[in-house]
Amino acid sequence: MSEDIKVDLELDLKGLLCPMPMVKVSQKIGDVPVGGVIRAVATDPGSMADIPAWAKSTGNEVLSAGKEGDEYVFLVKRAK
Amino acid sequence: MEPQQVDTLTGVLDKKMTRQLKQYLDICARCAICKDACHQYVATGDLTYLPARRAELIRQIYKKYFTKTGEFVPALYEARDPDESLLDELYESTYACTGCRRCMYYCPFSIDTAWILSVAKAILIAADRGNEMLGQLADAALMKSDNFDMFRDIILDGFKDIEGKVKEMTGDPSAEIPVDKEGADVLYVALAGAHSILPAAAIFHEAGTNWTLSMFESANYGYFFGDAEKARRIADRFMDEAKRLGVKEVVITECGHAYRVAQFFHEAWSGEKHPFKVRHILEVIDEYIRDGRITVRHGAITEPVTYHDPCQVGRNGGIFEQPRDIVRAIASDFRDMTPNREEQWCCGGGGGLVAIAEMEDFRLKSGAKKLEQVKATGARIIASPCENCRLQLEGLNDQLDLGLTVKPVMDLVVDAMEIRR
Amino acid sequence: METYLYLTSVVGVYIGIGVFVVGMAWRIYQWSTTPKSPVRLGLFPKPATSTGRGLKMLKDTFVAPHSARIEPVMWGFAFAFHVAALAALIGHGRLVVEYTPLVRLLGGDGMSTFAAWSGGTAGIVMTVAVLFWIARRTYGPFKQLSVPEDYFLLFLLLGIIVMGNHMRFLGHVPVETYREWFQSLLVFRPVMPAEIANSNVGWSLGTHMLFVNVFLVYFPFSKLVHTIGAFSANLVRSE
Repeated sequence: MSEDIKVDLELDLKGLLCPMPMVKVSQKIGDVPVGGVIRAVATDPGSMADIPAWAKSTGNEVLSAGKEGDEYVFLVKRAK
Repeated sequence: MEPQQVDTLTGVLDKKMTRQLKQYLDICARCAICKDACHQYVATGDLTYLPARRAELIRQIYKKYFTKTGEFVPALYEARDPDESLLDELYESTYACTGCRRCMYYCPFSIDTAWILSVAKAILIAADRGNEMLGQLADAALMKSDNFDMFRDIILDGFKDIEGKVKEMTGDPSAEIPVDKEGADVLYVALAGAHSILPAAAIFHEAGTNWTLSMFESANYGYFFGDAEKARRIADRFMDEAKRLGVKEVVITECGHAYRVAQFFHEAWSGEKHPFKVRHILEVIDEYIRDGRITVRHGAITEPVTYHDPCQVGRNGGIFEQPRDIVRAIASDFRDMTPNREEQWCCGGGGGLVAIAEMEDFRLKSGAKKLEQVKATGARIIASPCENCRLQLEGLNDQLDLGLTVKPVMDLVVDAMEIRR
Repeated sequence: METYLYLTSVVGVYIGIGVFVVGMAWRIYQWSTTPKSPVRLGLFPKPATSTGRGLKMLKDTFVAPHSARIEPVMWGFAFAFHVAALAALIGHGRLVVEYTPLVRLLGGDGMSTFAAWSGGTAGIVMTVAVLFWIARRTYGPFKQLSVPEDYFLLFLLLGIIVMGNHMRFLGHVPVETYREWFQSLLVFRPVMPAEIANSNVGWSLGTHMLFVNVFLVYFPFSKLVHTIGAFSANLVRSE
């Protein structure tokens, strides 16, 4: 994980069932400025495909997506 | 209003014109018997949500551009252009509709307001006013299949994580989640979430079913968004998979709209007959219990349980008794809501509303009738086989701190299932 | 009076019936040539057989049991109105031909009494139902849902019914005289008997017919096409 990335918004999506983690990231992306970053933590494995797919189709950028223990951690950058 | 814009939008209406739609637009008497059928109108008293009024907006365009009388005497019908003000109203009333079709049930002419609103959505999309969130979710689903190479390993890794839990749950290290298995009898189409895969996997394992899990989720935001083409392509993802694997049946998880899309819409959309059956998972589980392929312990749950009929599973899907039979087989105290089955109140969570943040307050408010019903039963557990319903019921529960548990029916089955070792 | 009656009760009738027949045929043609969506829109539970579906469609159309459950008062008025309208329509059949078996059964005076009672009841029921609907639209929360067409049709109906009631309750012209006029229309040798023109119902017949003609002309272009559209729409419910 790149520790030097400034996170503008932390999203706790633990316990949410897919597709809700993707929905929440999508709802909150407007809350950070363009170029801003959301750090989202989910527990549903489905989010590993959902969130990158959403980002790719909306033109946003997933800086990193990975498993840490039982959690799935995403850094999503608002592109526009 | 630009004439070109009018042409575009009336062109959509023309393209979507079917006999059913034309009759619905011609015959509504505006008697407003539908007013007491709609949970949203009952909860808010706002004309925007009166079913006949929602449809009336499309009728106003229809009268002006598709009938001579409306063209010459528009005032008689309040016929008007699809201008900004009409589109504003249309957006409000259309994307709020959960598509429960309770109004159709009570209408003396059985006018399917939800069908009229599906055309309204097509018009809104053509005017670039489709709901943004639902559109994004539809595109994300297609992104997965269009770039499948990119997502395949991620999806399979996710399934592996769940498989580990299935082994724990069944106590059988050979338990697995088969994927892409040719010659399987059943293709199970879940949601993206593990919660929809894990219990079904355990049940299929116990029943000894020759099954395989679809790579794709059954949820269809293209349908909620109102783009029939995208909706078809989203459903195609697993329908094509089923054809390729040669399965005998496609089993849809505990999801309302996905079941209706798979069972009633997809063949009409694609113009092809499925070479397999489509069933809802609860039909299958009910059969397993009756045939003794799985055993559940009666009295495994002693707390009072109620069952909420999801509109798309019950009134619009025809599955009323199987879920009740399953719950009764497990719970010693089952209490039905009043009214129930085809007359049941929509909980307010359908139509993709749970994904639309700005509708949250309205959505919870519209659950008033459902809340009354649930409270009247005194049940502590609500079982319901639809993700949207469960999210809404949980929302209502959290908002009022009722201390209820909302569960998929499958979860009750797994809790009560006697695991054979 | 003669001119008024000639326009409304002779020329107008031909125009009214002509437009009605052509208009309804056009409407049915339009419906039948619009392709049906292959998506099945049925609600559950639904009958498994096509006979069952047909029977359910008839029940849903003629009785509307679901509507009765959700708004019994509105259903009551609507049901009563439609039954009364049907009774009135059948009663008007005496203008074409006397119901001889019924006359034989009841006797001449008995028939008149029966007609007075049944026609009178139908007239009153329809008046009350239409007034209820006007009130419901005007004072209920649904004023904004209503469009001018709704009021236009209701007032047109009210006009027809009130004029009919006037002839029924205050007129003294026997049915045979009306029949003479109506049968003459059917054979395209129109005659307006002087007994009608010179009686107290001359203007009420004329006005009754004026409203009826406007009603018939407008019918195929109004929401009243539910009288035929309800059948196929209710069939879609069970598909």
